[in-house]
Amino acid sequence: MVGGEKKLISIQDSLKNVLKDNIISIEQAKGYIDVLVPTDKLVDSAKKLKEFGFDHVKSVTAVDYIAKKQFKITYHISSYLNEELSKYIIGLSTIINRDDPHLPSLSKIWVSAEFQEREVYEFFGIIFDDHPDLRLLLLTPVVAALKPLRKDFVVKEESDNIEVDYAAYNATKWW
Amino acid sequence: MSKSEKGNGEEKGKVYLADLDTVAEEAKQMLMKGTIGKMVDWANAFSLWPVHLMTSCCGCEIGAAWGPRFDNERYGSLPWVSPRQTNLIIVEGTVTKKMACSVRITWDQMPYPKFAVAMGACSLDGGIFYNSYNIVRPWQVIPIDVYIPGCPPRPEAVSRAIIELQKLLRNKSIASKWITESKREDMKNIIPKEDLCGWRGEKVDLHTRFT
Repeated sequence: MVGGEKKLISIQDSLKNVLKDNIISIEQAKGYIDVLVPTDKLVDSAKKLKEFGFDHVKSVTAVDYIAKKQFKITYHISSYLNEELSKYIIGLSTIINRDDPHLPSLSKIWVSAEFQEREVYEFFGIIFDDHPDLRLLLLTPVVAALKPLRKDFVVKEESDNIEVDYAAYNATKWW
Repeated sequence: MSKSEKGNGEEKGKVYLADLDTVAEEAKQMLMKGTIGKMVDWANAFSLWPVHLMTSCCGCEIGAAWGPRFDNERYGSLPWVSPRQTNLIIVEGTVTKKMACSVRITWDQMPYPKFAVAMGACSLDGGIFYNSYNIVRPWQVIPIDVYIPGCPPRPEAVSRAIIELQKLLRNKSIASKWITESKREDMKNIIPKEDLCGWRGEKVDLHTRFT
């Protein structure tokens, strides 16, 4: 048992004190704590975590659970200024409906989330409400319309055995 | 001299054999087929200046190729920053759909005669990204003269490509053909610029963005 893991458990306890009723589930392993909160309490828990000392978002990512018809969005947050918290990464996750993916934006709380929310928007088609500037970042409009990181997007090599309708891909202009 | 004055010239005792522009054009064609054409090819072969356009990871090998150990500068080739003073594009690896527009704009800005080298497996046929949704083959964007296979190619391979391009220039007299015909035939098969840069419709208003 390392000293680091004992500290992690103490951070997990203090997170429970900070977030209280917002938590659906909380897990920890290898220097990482994952907190699952409901979507309507995401902004509230983000504000509480910022007051607690987490001052930036390291990455924003989404997981496509196509069988359950869900998206799980995870904000990996950490700290620069608080020395003790800077050793750990906290995952603040929420689960949303796959058919109508809407989510409140956290870019007003953590500015570093802005670009990464745009990236999630163009690769998964997840819309962040009240985001200040929700435009395409890396992809061209036609490619972004295909939502290439969703599980139901099939690349050419895998499409040998599956029948894929490339009409939308071929009908439009090539970019 | 305007055309109306030419008719009056004979009356004053001067004889005009032909229009000055057509005579100059014919003289240029005649000279470019002979020794001057060869000299143009020779001069271009020993001043292949690649533009600083790093599309992908093969750019590291380019750095080594012009470094002190492999020293491609001894072939008269010098990497330069601005497209306006260069005559060679080395496409290093993958070209994404957005970068393709930049490659084409750089190519259009360069003065002719100009040449292109495609470097690495990605620029031959996609490499590991062969089935990606977001890449373009460089030969769809600009006409390529020399291909370098490898992932990534060694700096020696880049030197070899420069030498091969020099041979190609002097044997097939590409540079002097650019001047006499002012076009390249293989420009026809590539994607038109409106399609390459068609995604750039939206203008960014930076003043309203952060208010």
